[in-house]
Amino acid sequence: MEARASVTVQRPVNHAGNIGVSGCMSSSLPVLPLPLEEKYTKMSYSQQICFENELMTDPVAPFDTPLASTGGNVGHKLSSTSGFCTDLHSSSSSTHESHLRITPFIPQVSNNGASSPIAFSSHSGIVRSTPSISYNKRNNNASWYAFKSQGVVETCGNIPDQKSQIESSNGAAASEEHTSQSDWQQWADQLITDDENLAADWDELLLDTNVVDSEPKVASQAPKQSSNFSPNQERTHQQPSAHCRDLAIVTSPLSPVCGSSIKSRMRWTPELHECFVQAVNQLGGSERATPKGVLKLMNVESLTILHVKSHLQKYRTARYGPDLTDGTLEKKMSAAEETPSLSPKMSIEISEALRLQMEVQKRLHEQLEIQRNLQLRIEEQGKVLQMMFEKQCKKLGDNFNSSTSTLDDSSTQSLPLPNAKSEPEAMECDHDTEHGPVDDTNTVEDSHNDGKEQNTVEVIEVRAPDMGEESKNSSKKRARTDDTNTTLSSGKSASD
Amino acid sequence: MKFGKRLKHQIQQTLPEWRNKFLCYKDLKKLVRLISLAPMSLGVSVGKAEAEFVYLLNVEIEKFNSFFMEQEEDFIIRHSELQQRIQRVCSTLGPEGSQPSETDYKDEMERIRKDIINFHGEMVLLVNYSNINYTGLAKILKKYDKRTGGLLRLPFIQKVLQQPFFTTDLVSKLIKECESTIDRLFPTVKQKNKRADMVERSNTTTDGLNIFRNTVAALETMQEMRSGSSTYSHFSLPPLNIPEPDLIRSVQLNSPIPIP
Repeated sequence: MEARASVTVQRPVNHAGNIGVSGCMSSSLPVLPLPLEEKYTKMSYSQQICFENELMTDPVAPFDTPLASTGGNVGHKLSSTSGFCTDLHSSSSSTHESHLRITPFIPQVSNNGASSPIAFSSHSGIVRSTPSISYNKRNNNASWYAFKSQGVVETCGNIPDQKSQIESSNGAAASEEHTSQSDWQQWADQLITDDENLAADWDELLLDTNVVDSEPKVASQAPKQSSNFSPNQERTHQQPSAHCRDLAIVTSPLSPVCGSSIKSRMRWTPELHECFVQAVNQLGGSERATPKGVLKLMNVESLTILHVKSHLQKYRTARYGPDLTDGTLEKKMSAAEETPSLSPKMSIEISEALRLQMEVQKRLHEQLEIQRNLQLRIEEQGKVLQMMFEKQCKKLGDNFNSSTSTLDDSSTQSLPLPNAKSEPEAMECDHDTEHGPVDDTNTVEDSHNDGKEQNTVEVIEVRAPDMGEESKNSSKKRARTDDTNTTLSSGKSASD
Repeated sequence: MKFGKRLKHQIQQTLPEWRNKFLCYKDLKKLVRLISLAPMSLGVSVGKAEAEFVYLLNVEIEKFNSFFMEQEEDFIIRHSELQQRIQRVCSTLGPEGSQPSETDYKDEMERIRKDIINFHGEMVLLVNYSNINYTGLAKILKKYDKRTGGLLRLPFIQKVLQQPFFTTDLVSKLIKECESTIDRLFPTVKQKNKRADMVERSNTTTDGLNIFRNTVAALETMQEMRSGSSTYSHFSLPPLNIPEPDLIRSVQLNSPIPIP
């Protein structure tokens, strides 16, 4: 217990470092940089709630918002960990919130060990949760997640002195996840704009926390879930010895489409399950353990009693079968005796059959993995090409006014956006020639960057006649690609 | 054979509980056609139609997600239980156990072997489920863009790639662990004769048979889908490359559809 406390107390210090206190300690926290702020306002709130470390949680919701892809970008940023400290460092001075954040952390930095919490004023204690909340506001869910994963919550749970304050602030943070979108809007606005009202905000938050279960160790979710959640479980966690509370669970609400079903979905992992099993065993086995007890023991953020209940049920079923009898080895043995003994020939056949089945399954799995990787690569390539095309379009827009000689009317008409759709497809090549075309397109990029408008124009010209066609069959596309390649190479040589 | 029919065939072969969890490809295709035929004069209707389409896709994705995660949770539990069971059997009935008993040990291990192989099969089928639904989504989006001139596909598919149901890493990891456990416990000897009817006859549980059939159907589907089609494009996958092409032929189970 002490060891845990001492370990976790370290972490807030790291947090302070991340926020940008001078001489910050580097940490492996995947905290999102503040520049994402501006993207926040445009993103739908359904994305605000934490997402996972590993690009896995962007919900389906904001398809209709054009900037939904920033969620992907954000998630992408999450995957790198070490760079963020410096990012935050640089951006920390940009807003007053960060300023606010820095100050209360300084005392935290200077104090070591369990005595530090005592030094906190209530304000600082509340403000400590600010980063998480404001990060949330900014859809900086990674930091919230990071906070969790680094055990800020644990710290709060561990240190009894702070319990009332920090638990409440954590409760506030926890309840953050479940507040309706309008509340977020209000709080976001207030935090971003109003300095004076900050104190009022904190009072509001504190009041909110009273609604939360006062149970110190359990951050059970307030029943305010108005949108459908799809919490995603962190797949890897820092300590191999799975302290349950290290397993940060991230929730991501799903599309408001499915808002009617309030059931929040938890993504379990083997580590979390291990934690669950330990808790169950501590309570005397799956028969005697109660969901509430298990939930308490596990003490994992954002794990609800519903999750535990359903998981416990599955667990019981898996162990003892549909009939809840005592599942000892003897029982299984007696069940086995019921099956008739098999002749040697039969057993060989069975064995052979099983082997064949296994082989087929293995084969399918291999192929599925390969297929999945290919699909990922296709989309990745498509994305890259789309970006390149957009750049090219922009460049063309810039050059358009000046270049008139090689453009005829048909190609000018085909320049606007509808090209975007078919462009990437036109530029894509078969996979067996994957590297070739990519190199070519890179060449295109380089030559464009050199500002050689002639190349640009030629490329567009080649594609222009084919634009607007509905049916694209492979031969045509290949021909087009070949034309493009030829043009590119000729264009390049011409420019040399 | 078209994807829609292939998907339907697979759904028919699949485990019963899974039947209604697949992509409603046909319905979505109908919707795309309706949208493309709808009057384009009112700008509102186009936007609205797209919103409706996106809404339905989201519903489907939600369906996949919840089913997938539920299955994944089950697999995690079963996996851990299997490991424990193996350990228990080894420690009690095994040669170095507390109550060594060769026949009992053998029987138990046989049972474990069957269970673990079926478990492996189910997990693989879940990955296949994920994959085929993804493929269906990609196709539908492509159709949509083609029919309506929209630009829905690329950004939407980026989102789909991050959905829980598509991120099958955990299940794949469990599958690999299963494989290594099987290899460890039941080192196999290569046999020359592989015959599907043998599997059919000797597979005493319907589960095993179901899984086997479904696996074969999945492999067939994959092979067909990857064999090239009229709409082969730059977003299409290359032809399937199975090291032992005879494997699939040898496990054809009364299938009326010949593999090219």
